[in-house]
Amino acid sequence: MKTIEFKLTAFTWIIITLAVTAWVFILPLQAVATILVVQLAGLLYVKHDRMTLAAIGGLAVFTGMMVLLQLLFGSSLEVSLTGGLRMLVMTMAFLCMLATTRIQDIAKTLVDRFHLPVEYAFMLTTALRFVPNFLEDSAITLDAQSCRGYSNRGSFLKHMVSYVVVIRPLVMRAVAKSETLALAMELKGFGKNTYKNMPQEPLTIVDFLALLLVVFLSSYPFWAKLLK
Amino acid sequence: MENVISFKNFYFAYSKSGLVLKDINLNIKKGSFTVVIGPSGAGKTTLCKAITAIVPFYMGGSYAGEVQVLGESTKGKRVSDLALKVGLMLEDYESQLVSLTAGEEVAFSLQNHGFPPEETQERVQKALAEVGLPGRESYQLDELSGGQRQRLLLATIMAVHPEIIVLDEPVSAMDPEGAEELYALLAKIHQDFGTTIIVVEHRVEFVLPYMTDIIAVKEGQIVAAGTCEDVVEKIYTEPGLQVLLPELWQVKCSLQARYGEHLSLWRKLSEAADELRVKGFKGGEEA
Amino acid sequence: MIEAKDINFAYRRGVPVLKDIECTIKDGEFVALLGHNGSGKTTLSRLFMALDHPRSGQILIDGKDIVNLEPADLADKIGYVFQNPDLQILADTVFDEVAYGPRAKKLTEANVKTQVEAALAAMGLSSLAGGYPRVLSFGQKRRLGVAAALALNPRTLILDEITNGQDAAEQTRMMEYLKAINEERGVTIILITHDMGIVRRYAKRTLVLTDGELVFDGTPQDLFEGGEHLEAWGLRRPVVSALGANFGVSAATVDELCAHLVKGDECDEDD
Repeated sequence: MKTIEFKLTAFTWIIITLAVTAWVFILPLQAVATILVVQLAGLLYVKHDRMTLAAIGGLAVFTGMMVLLQLLFGSSLEVSLTGGLRMLVMTMAFLCMLATTRIQDIAKTLVDRFHLPVEYAFMLTTALRFVPNFLEDSAITLDAQSCRGYSNRGSFLKHMVSYVVVIRPLVMRAVAKSETLALAMELKGFGKNTYKNMPQEPLTIVDFLALLLVVFLSSYPFWAKLLK
Repeated sequence: MENVISFKNFYFAYSKSGLVLKDINLNIKKGSFTVVIGPSGAGKTTLCKAITAIVPFYMGGSYAGEVQVLGESTKGKRVSDLALKVGLMLEDYESQLVSLTAGEEVAFSLQNHGFPPEETQERVQKALAEVGLPGRESYQLDELSGGQRQRLLLATIMAVHPEIIVLDEPVSAMDPEGAEELYALLAKIHQDFGTTIIVVEHRVEFVLPYMTDIIAVKEGQIVAAGTCEDVVEKIYTEPGLQVLLPELWQVKCSLQARYGEHLSLWRKLSEAADELRVKGFKGGEEA
Repeated sequence: MIEAKDINFAYRRGVPVLKDIECTIKDGEFVALLGHNGSGKTTLSRLFMALDHPRSGQILIDGKDIVNLEPADLADKIGYVFQNPDLQILADTVFDEVAYGPRAKKLTEANVKTQVEAALAAMGLSSLAGGYPRVLSFGQKRRLGVAAALALNPRTLILDEITNGQDAAEQTRMMEYLKAINEERGVTIILITHDMGIVRRYAKRTLVLTDGELVFDGTPQDLFEGGEHLEAWGLRRPVVSALGANFGVSAATVDELCAHLVKGDECDEDD
C-alpha cells in the first residue's frame, strides 16, 4: 500500500468521515459530486489493487439497487439519483478511511477519544483477523457439500440456496471458535488497559490543516448565508 | 527438587458432565520436561486447563481438592495473572492469535499488563529472535506460514518470561520436519531458561529425545507419574497405555520381558541399535 | 481407475504447485500420498475430485476426461473426506448426515436407508444413528466423515489426513475399517498422511511428492528400507523400519520386529 505524502491520523480520518456524512446533506449537489470525484481519485491513487476496485464496484452496484428501489416506491428520478449520490459519497468516505488507516489505530482512537468500550473497538480487529479464516472454512464446507453430490450447476437462485444450507454449520463453528477466542483474550489480560499502552499517533500540522478544512466546509450554511 | 505444580485430591466435573478428573494427586518438578499421555477423552486437556485455573474458575463446574502453582493455590486467581507464570498453547492455537501483525501479537499481553512501551519493545524483539523470527514485527499474520504462526504464539508466551509452559498437542497437524523443529525449539527454551515444560502429546516419538518425566492418564485418573526410568515398565503393563509409549521403549520392554535382560532407556535409534548389537541381538526367524 | 497425465497446476498467483505429474491408480489399490507440507499432495487429490482443474494435462476417471465435470458428478465414483471433520457436518442427526449424499442424488428413501445403514456399519457407527453429530468424539466424527462419503458406494475413497490428532487405538480402529473396506469391497483407498508407521502397516503403494514433483512411486518397504533419502523429501522412517534395517529385519509393527530379533548364543562374542 502506498502511503499518501501527507499522512492523517485515525482521529482526523474519523472526523472527516463523520463530517462527510453531514456534508452530503448541507452542501450543494455540485460540491457533493466534486467530493465523490476527489474520493475516487484519491482512493485509486493510493490503492489500485483488485480488492479496492471490487469494493468500489460493490458500492456502486449497491447504490444502483437503492436508486432502483426508490424509483419503484414512486420517487422521481431526480430525488432517487440525489439519494443515490449521497449514499455513495457516504459509503465511499468509509472506504477511503479503511483504505488509508490501520484498523488498530481506528480502534484505539475510538477508545481513547470517543470513549467506545474496549470490547466493541477490538471487534474491528477481530473481524479483520478472523473473517479471512472464516471464508476459507466456508469454502471447505461448500466443497464438502459438492463432494456429497450437491450440484452447483444451474440458476443463480440455486447457487444462493446452496450457500444457505451451509450457514448453520458455519455459525456453530463460529460460536465454538469465539469461545476459544474469548478464553485467549482472557489469558492475555484483555480489558480496560488494553489500549492504554498502545503507541499513540501524534497530531501533526497536516491534521490541523485538514481539521480546519472540515470546520470550514461544515459551517457552509452560515457563510453561504453571509455571502448572499 | 522443588515442585512447581501440585494437585492435591483434585476432582473436577464440567457443568453438564460427569467427573472428568478423579482424585488427582500429582507433583510436577521444577525444570522437568513432562509429557502427558493417555487415550483420547482421558482428561489430559482438562488437566492442562486445571493447571492454568481455566478450570474450575474461568469455565465453571464443580470441584474438590486443590491445585497449587508455584506454591500458591489457583483458587481466587485471575486467569490472566496466572498466565504470566504459566504459558498455555491450546490445540486450536490459531484462535489464540488475535492481532493483525506479529509485533502487536507479542506485545499484546505485555501492554494489557501495563508494561511500559520501551520494555515491551525490548521483550518483543528478544522473544521473536528466540523463536527464530527476528525482525518480523511488522509482518501481517497471513504472511507467516503455519509453523511460523505457531512459533509466533510461542514468542507471545516467552515474552512474559513464564516459569512454566503448557502445550496441548502442539504438532498434531504438522509434517515430521515441522514437528522436529518445534520440539527442538522447546528443548532449547527448556535448556536455556530452565523453563518447566508440560506437553500433552500422542506423537511421542518427537519428544523422546527430551522428555524427563511422564504422566499417564486414563479415564480421568493418574495411572503413573514420575521420571521416565521409574514409570516406563509400569505403563507398559497397563492395557491401552502400552501403545502410547515411544516405539523404541515398547521394543525395549518387549525384549526385556522375553530375555530377562535389562536394556537402557534409549533416546535415539542409534543407541538402541548399538546396544542391541553389542548384546548379541541379530535378525532371525521368528522366535 | 484414476489417471493423471502430464499434470501442471498453479493457483492464480502463478507459483507452480504441481509439475508434470504422471501416475495411474488402479481399482482396489491402497495408496499413500506423501510429502512435506506444501508439496502438492492435497492439491493433486483435489484435482482427482474435480475440485480444481489442471492448467495443463488431463485427469481421467475410468478413461473419461473430467475437465468439464464438477465434484457432484463424481460423488458416486469417488468419496472425498476432508481433514477437518467439523467443517463437513451438514445435518442434524448422524443418519441424515450420512444420508445427505444419497438424498442429493435423489435415491428413493428405501435405497437411502439401505446405503446409509451399510455405510454406518462399515465404520462401526450403527449404534449412533439417531445421535447429534456434534456431540460425537473426535474419532467418531472422523469416522462419520468417511461413512458419509461411503454412502454413495464410490469405487474410490480419498482421505485427507484423517488420522491426525487421534490416539493410537483410534488410529488403528480407523485404519482397520479402511483395510476391511479395501479388502472386502475392493474400494480403492488414497490416503494422505504424515504418519509413516501407518503407511508401513497398511499402504501397499506410496507416491511421494516434493515441491510439486513426483519423486517416488513404489511399495512402503522399498521407500523405507531401500536406502532412499527420505529426509530430503521431508519424510522420516518409521521407528520400527529404521531399527529393523540395522538387523536386516523388515517389520511393520513392534511385535513383528521383536519376534524377529533374536539374541545370539552366549558364546557369540562378536557380530
